[in-house]
Amino acid sequence: MNTAPITTWEGVEAYFTLADKPATLMIICALGVLAGAYTLVSMIRHENACYNYTKKKH
Amino acid sequence: MNETTTDVAAKIEALEKSLAMANTLNSEIFYWWCTALMVAIHAGFLAYEMGASRSKNALASGIKNILAFAFIVPTFYYVGWWIYLAFPTGLTISEAASAGLPWSANMGPNVSDHASGVFYAAFTLFAATTASIMSGSAIERIRISGFTILAVILGSVVWNLGAAWGWHPQGWLTTKFGLHDTAAAGCVHTVAGFFTLGVLINLGPRIGRYNADGSINEITGHSMPMSLIGLMLIVMGFFGFLGGCIIYTADGWTTIYNTPTNLSAFAFNTLLGVAGGMIGTYLVTRDPFWMMSGALVGVIASGSGLDVYYPGLTFINSFLAGCVIPKVNDIIIRKFKIDDAVGAVAVHGFTGIWGLVSMGVLAAGYPNIEGPAVSLMGQVASAIVFVLLGFIPGYVFSFALKMVGLLRASPDAELVGLDKTEVPALAYPESHIPAFAQPEPHVSPAE
Repeated sequence: MNTAPITTWEGVEAYFTLADKPATLMIICALGVLAGAYTLVSMIRHENACYNYTKKKH
Repeated sequence: MNETTTDVAAKIEALEKSLAMANTLNSEIFYWWCTALMVAIHAGFLAYEMGASRSKNALASGIKNILAFAFIVPTFYYVGWWIYLAFPTGLTISEAASAGLPWSANMGPNVSDHASGVFYAAFTLFAATTASIMSGSAIERIRISGFTILAVILGSVVWNLGAAWGWHPQGWLTTKFGLHDTAAAGCVHTVAGFFTLGVLINLGPRIGRYNADGSINEITGHSMPMSLIGLMLIVMGFFGFLGGCIIYTADGWTTIYNTPTNLSAFAFNTLLGVAGGMIGTYLVTRDPFWMMSGALVGVIASGSGLDVYYPGLTFINSFLAGCVIPKVNDIIIRKFKIDDAVGAVAVHGFTGIWGLVSMGVLAAGYPNIEGPAVSLMGQVASAIVFVLLGFIPGYVFSFALKMVGLLRASPDAELVGLDKTEVPALAYPESHIPAFAQPEPHVSPAE
């Protein structure tokens, strides 16, 4: 299945691979935000778990 | 004063000449500075591998990096550049190859040739980078002599053959399979990663790495901060490397395959790739060494399509690779008992495959100037070629070195430390590091 938004380089300016339609563009941006947000949540949970562990240990 | 038509024509001609020379000089200057920036990659590898070594091996690890660079510069001059120009169609020698012979008029001072020297220099730095990829994996037990021989084979013969095949406007992988690999994920990273795997199989693990029951012992380097700074230097040097992947022409920028692109496309995707890889590796490891390796993972994973990906897509692709590649490294180390000291087989070899294949999945159908359009099958076939091109010579030549006793340091030298055994200098003469119980410098038997 072809995913390239162009079939020739003649006259090409902007080309957004897999993001050449508003819906896919929004999905890709949303996935990026989700990846960052999930990592942040995971970071907070990791820190809290580590702090609790340290508190119990000392 | 009225100018005659002849005067105007002469002025236009002079202006055109001047413009053409300005373009030529801009191009020359561009590759000069790309080469300079790429030296930062070697500063990075030097710091990163010394830091990843125990203090008893720190200098020996650094010597490897310095010698890899030093030996590749002349060998790439004598044979490497010729190999790249000679074999784009496979194993038959192309006519253009004569320009790369060391006695060619192009291969020395020549005021009419503004390209050969700077292109040779940029490719030489690519070559040294390729050899450095192997370097870190083999630290603390490989003989410096054996390593230097392998570095020359990898850097001045093998990767550039791969580059001729798949990172060249007329390379047969592009003309037959439609390979598109803008930032050399295949010929540099996959080839080097699998060459390294071949070497590590013959080299064996460091003493003490694995127990008799198959369990693993962590062998930590002596300076994680040094390694992290080194890895960040590699990221900086990548901007030179990636700049060197673009061709500067009078009509604008193109990829190595002559398809149009520009530095802006590379800037978006390089940065998003670095960030995605860092975040992904943080999520699965929390380990700063892996986070910085994740920056490399991120660039390599999106390297094949650095010119065509939408930056948001690059971020996701690199993030996913960052989540997966540390797991691949675990399998290599824990399941297959391959002692890869820095994870280069996973970070470069397997991420290189990721980069090639993801281009076939995410960007199939992009037209090539020569050959069919990009396809998943073409990218997969090319990845297989690169894997074999790296692994077979890595395994065969390291096996030959092992047979003649040139691959691995003696067990005594490994236990005492390679610095104390063969390096006439001390890494930390004024500190009290246990490994240096007797901190006098090495004196060679001849002395």
